[in-house]
Amino acid sequence: MLVSRRQFLKQLGISTGLLISSTLGPRVFGLQQTPIKIGGTLPLTGVFSATGIWVERGYRYWAQEINSRGGLLGRPVELLIYDDASSVDKAISLLERAITVDKVNLLAGGYPGTAAAAQMAIAEKYKMVYVSMGGHMKSFLQGFKYSFGAPPLMGEWWYLGVFDWMATLLPGDRPRKAAAATVNNLVGIAVRDSMYEGLKRLGIQLVMDELYDLPLPSADPFVAKAKALGADMFISNSFFDDGVLTIRSMRAQGYNPKIILQGVGTLIPEWATQLGKDGDYIFSGTAMHHKLPFPGVKEVGEAAKRLYNVPVPPQYFLFGYAWLQALQRGVEGAGSLDQDAIANYLRTHVIETIAGRLTFDEKGLPPPYNFAIQVLKGEPELIWPPAVATASPVYPKPPWGG
Amino acid sequence: MNFFLQVMISGLLLGTTYALLGVGFSLIWGVARVLNITHAIFAVLAAYAAYWPMKLYNLDPFLILLGIIPLFFLLGVLLYEGPIRLLERRTPNLELSSLVLTFGLAYALENMMAYLWSPGPRLLNTPYTGHSLSLLGIYFPLTQVYSFLLSVVTIVAIYLFLYHTHLGKAVRAVWQDRDGAVLSGVNLHSVTAITYGVAIASAGVAGVAMALIYAFNPAIHLGWLIYIFLVVIMGGVGSMLGAGVAGLFTGLVINLSVLFIPFAWSNLLLFSGLLLLLFIRPRGLLQR
Repeated sequence: MLVSRRQFLKQLGISTGLLISSTLGPRVFGLQQTPIKIGGTLPLTGVFSATGIWVERGYRYWAQEINSRGGLLGRPVELLIYDDASSVDKAISLLERAITVDKVNLLAGGYPGTAAAAQMAIAEKYKMVYVSMGGHMKSFLQGFKYSFGAPPLMGEWWYLGVFDWMATLLPGDRPRKAAAATVNNLVGIAVRDSMYEGLKRLGIQLVMDELYDLPLPSADPFVAKAKALGADMFISNSFFDDGVLTIRSMRAQGYNPKIILQGVGTLIPEWATQLGKDGDYIFSGTAMHHKLPFPGVKEVGEAAKRLYNVPVPPQYFLFGYAWLQALQRGVEGAGSLDQDAIANYLRTHVIETIAGRLTFDEKGLPPPYNFAIQVLKGEPELIWPPAVATASPVYPKPPWGG
Repeated sequence: MNFFLQVMISGLLLGTTYALLGVGFSLIWGVARVLNITHAIFAVLAAYAAYWPMKLYNLDPFLILLGIIPLFFLLGVLLYEGPIRLLERRTPNLELSSLVLTFGLAYALENMMAYLWSPGPRLLNTPYTGHSLSLLGIYFPLTQVYSFLLSVVTIVAIYLFLYHTHLGKAVRAVWQDRDGAVLSGVNLHSVTAITYGVAIASAGVAGVAMALIYAFNPAIHLGWLIYIFLVVIMGGVGSMLGAGVAGLFTGLVINLSVLFIPFAWSNLLLFSGLLLLLFIRPRGLLQR
């Protein structure tokens, strides 16, 4: 069919315009493409919110940063993080909503371990990659193909670093008897497993092994019991509130063991800002720290300090950033949003994140590792392994208030 | 022996604080037939009211209480005059409706506090925090001692008000026989408003007493509410003495159970005891 010259030029102009915009569009016109939606839930209110909000802030900083560099696969990322109010039930239903209603392209990991463990099953059901802290070892033994701990927060590895350091002490200097009080939930039980292995390895007798439910009404009974039994090592496998109650009870009863291990309370800024000197000299473990010698950690930590006016970069800000960064590496490596391709890439390659170089086994876990920390002058310092240490450990524990 | 005495004393000191938490809740339930779920969140609000002046201006919580008590009395009156009275006119089942209303109010207040002050935990760090008195090898943590004294003084004050003042007798009359009290010339509206004021003021004191011992955050009210219900139901609704006895019993069971059973079973023991009590005395220990 013959067309007029005018019509031909018009069609030529339109075709050329389409060709130019499709190849140069993202650079010439900015990130105008459909954003990649990343969905998830976090405890932004409720009992776990003190930590949850820091994970969210880490997520948002990652998103802001990647968008400023051109996005993921050339597309901007958009976060859709629901508040699960620290409820596992809500974490499950809201994640499912993000997948089925909001049709997100990628998933962001939840917190704490109980929520993450539950969400791993949802991610597996919908065959979507799920990068998170995980829900401790049990959650990774379910044969899931799409879940990765990057880095994982593994209770079973929690005290690996501390006990490795303690193994360097002369046998005569080590504590002889340990007393433990553990919060009776998934996290506490997992951390307790780490303790059993370490005590056995060092030949330290466990004279007290109490469990308690939250909220902890009083730490006085088991602290008094530990003191009566002559335990010179106390292991408080606790969160913040119950950890504080335990520390205060120990001080009030004049019980000052040679060494105190604490679960996860020491990782949040409030441990130092609220507890003051009583929070010093307490040992714990971590999979992430702002002073680790990994590329990008320092910059992300400084950003957290600057943005939120805190003296020390919160660990969970770094965790949040690391989890999405690991997901980013998988997407970039796969070159697509295909979930199987992303999972396959993560399983077969080394990825670089602010949490270090990570590889994953068939369970979705890196090889076991954990760094020992001790709170010194209000700051959690790395004390083991020596390659990353930022301070020398103080042992035995000085008197309270000292 | 020292171990036994230490845990027993600690249990008694702690139990009195639980009793104080329960007294005001029991008062409103007994007098106004309202299940005031906001009781615990008001206690948390009082903890923040003590925290900020201490943090910003180094004011001791006991000094701040002089302002908290009248302020929270007023808040209690406003709670009654506002949402509760509106509800009273609209529902035939005040007990159930008030449960729902105050539940919603409690969550609203929780979220308001989380928004204003962040959901992170706070601690009242006073000059006496972490210090103890020591007597014959038994330690008396000062924060628990002060919390105990505060609780005892407040409970005694409420008792004296109820049993030795004209207004207090009117409150008791309404609790015992609402219609009879009205027929006797008691102004139901004023008496109920004052009851709310006294109850929420006591929640304010309880909040400070609890904050001396525990870390707190906006969401903690649900955990405190468990102990409130335990103490009130065990002691008998409306019974001050019952709340006191139940509080002490709770503190003792929690602490002493570690001598005989794993500590993780202390709640099981406590609530099993409550169930058994309710089979034997459904009205609680001391409610007549």
